[in-house]
Amino acid sequence: MKNKDYLYLDHAASTPMRKAAITEYVNAESFGFANSSGGHKLSRDSKNLLEDSREKIASLLDVAPGEIIFTSGGTEADNWTIKSLFTSTKLDENLVTSNIEHEAVLASAEWVSSLGHKVNYAKSNNEGLVEEDEFLDHVNEKTIVASLMWGNNETGVIQPISQISKALKSANESTLFHSDVVQGIISENINFHNSGIESAAISAHKIGGPKGVGAMFINNKYKLPSFFHGGKQELERRAGTVDVPGIASFAAALEEQQNKFDDEVGMMKEEREIFEDKLKNSLEVVIVGDSIDRLPHISNIQFADINSEVLLIELDLNGLGVSRGSACASGAQKPSHVLEAMNVDEKFINNHLRFSFGWSNQKGDGSKAADIVIKAVQGMK
Amino acid sequence: MRILVAMSGGVDSSVVAALLKEQGHEVIGVTMKLWEGPEGEMPETGCCTASDSEDARKVASKLDIPYYVLDYTESFSKNVVDNFIDMYAQGLTPNPCVECNRSVKFDHFLNQAKKLNCEKVATGHYAKIIKNENFYELHKADYLDKDQSYVLHMLKSDDLENILFPLGEITKPEVRQIAARLGLKTAFKKDSQDICFVGKKDYRSFVEKRIDLTSAGEIFDVNGNKVGNHNGIHEFTVGQRKGLPGGQATPRYVTKINVQNKNVIIGEQKDLLVGSFIIEDVSIVKDIEYDNLTVQTRYNSEDLNCKINKISDNELLVELREPASSIAPGQFGVLFSGTKVIGGGRISSKLMESAS
Repeated sequence: MKNKDYLYLDHAASTPMRKAAITEYVNAESFGFANSSGGHKLSRDSKNLLEDSREKIASLLDVAPGEIIFTSGGTEADNWTIKSLFTSTKLDENLVTSNIEHEAVLASAEWVSSLGHKVNYAKSNNEGLVEEDEFLDHVNEKTIVASLMWGNNETGVIQPISQISKALKSANESTLFHSDVVQGIISENINFHNSGIESAAISAHKIGGPKGVGAMFINNKYKLPSFFHGGKQELERRAGTVDVPGIASFAAALEEQQNKFDDEVGMMKEEREIFEDKLKNSLEVVIVGDSIDRLPHISNIQFADINSEVLLIELDLNGLGVSRGSACASGAQKPSHVLEAMNVDEKFINNHLRFSFGWSNQKGDGSKAADIVIKAVQGMK
Repeated sequence: MRILVAMSGGVDSSVVAALLKEQGHEVIGVTMKLWEGPEGEMPETGCCTASDSEDARKVASKLDIPYYVLDYTESFSKNVVDNFIDMYAQGLTPNPCVECNRSVKFDHFLNQAKKLNCEKVATGHYAKIIKNENFYELHKADYLDKDQSYVLHMLKSDDLENILFPLGEITKPEVRQIAARLGLKTAFKKDSQDICFVGKKDYRSFVEKRIDLTSAGEIFDVNGNKVGNHNGIHEFTVGQRKGLPGGQATPRYVTKINVQNKNVIIGEQKDLLVGSFIIEDVSIVKDIEYDNLTVQTRYNSEDLNCKINKISDNELLVELREPASSIAPGQFGVLFSGTKVIGGGRISSKLMESAS
């Protein structure tokens, strides 16, 4: 099967680059290839392009340009905020996060814990939601960072960020509130300041930009210690030669994504609905978070009596690409920590697949995907 | 037809995938991930390492076939590794490769193949499947040096119907030639010999890390005279010569391990000779046969002439024509009639009659 005939429903993992982003990358690489920190004309061109991109992104996200620091992606931004405020000298300070976070947050939290700090994990309920009271129960006067994702990457369940951020500030004014919005930004209109987010992780490749590029939003009132040490690039906060063409391409992708937001997200929503309705009508399935707010692009489905490891292969062989939990180096798939956190019955924990729509899908994909899934599941019975 | 091929990353299974693809079949490659350590570490050598699954992926890419890694770690850990440790704790000599084939590999693999609508599964084992009327027989490979029918004896006719062993009629050098002709990366890769989850390390340290077996015991000769002390019975297997008290006129071997009182008995080579033994957990390929039987008591060991008596559905008494010395409880006794595998079972530690 040629790749163009392959139906891709794994946009939560990555998306193809938008044409505008590719064009911008190529232009930027010829115009702004020089090191943006240099003292000559070509460096100035590159630096100008970098700062124009920062302004463009800041304006699209309704934040100040100085609040955007470019990184290698969402993982780096999560690591930076979570790790950099904890030191080995003030061990009474703690971190609060949830047990359904992305591995970038969970593994950073484990690192904080390994220094000797207390890490308090708020628990998800059975629907995949971290409730406000549960989260706040873990916050105290020694909580210096609290981190909760906008929408979960496996279930799509949207967390009550605005409520929690407000209540958090009443509980402890000085706690920095971080949110991983890597998935959220794909299909939700997020205003960082209005929703009380003070630090956020953003990834370019989830919205049609290049891989290896991302940004950290950090509220102007904070200045995090450097995470990469070296030169004084990126507003003196992140050492390393800046990937200006990648960033310019990211800005172009975000611009197109924001301009087409309603159409694209409307399409994802519609296709997902058609997809889920068709499955519900033909198969014995449970849709995770069916009755609560979910990111419009993610559908996590439990199939009765079907091992998803095998179903994933059958779908792949029939031209539909989806995913299970997070993949390890050799590609073997493990039961998901998110489903475990939701207390999904052990009998069903290996029966889930994640289908994720994205900008590159088109009308009809939901129906087409459902047909492939239904046929595959019925063939496995 | 659609065939699921188990690809370990070695040359044998690479060639199997290539041959079946050449024959025009729809081939799907799968690596079974069997083991990772408590810290998620992968073994360094053997058939389930990260670099081996990487080799399998490269071969699959070269052959342009779909390729997946399936996770069998939970089942492997429970059925093979725990059993391996438990057997040593009982003074037995485990055979993890047989346990793996018995309770992990083929079971899951055949099951998943069925769900994926594959008509057959194929592996790179050296053994032959012969159809006899409506039944399927398991035979030794033509290339006896590599014959693996011993570790496959638990497959039944119904299983064999769904299995292909494409290497049953070719030699290892031929396999390497085919791999080289096809430009497969694995053509000149060394064969793996180690226990996959132990790797190059000593199995004793692997066992010691997981279970406390340090209860010391005493070493006696066959006449009941004490000749020394030891640090734990897991350091011994029947037939072992190394690491025993020296100073004897003739070489000494472990002849018996007594789990109850932790005593290890050593004797001369003649004391190792066994005339009959019981196999338990017996599995029969199709029908039990009684004539012209031979038995192998270790992987690829000598065929010993024998006759059998049925004790129960699960137990057989194996009587050797000539006493033999290579019989360790915990290993498997596999019965053959000529090249045909009749079945086999685990050698029991009870009622092992010495020939002398």
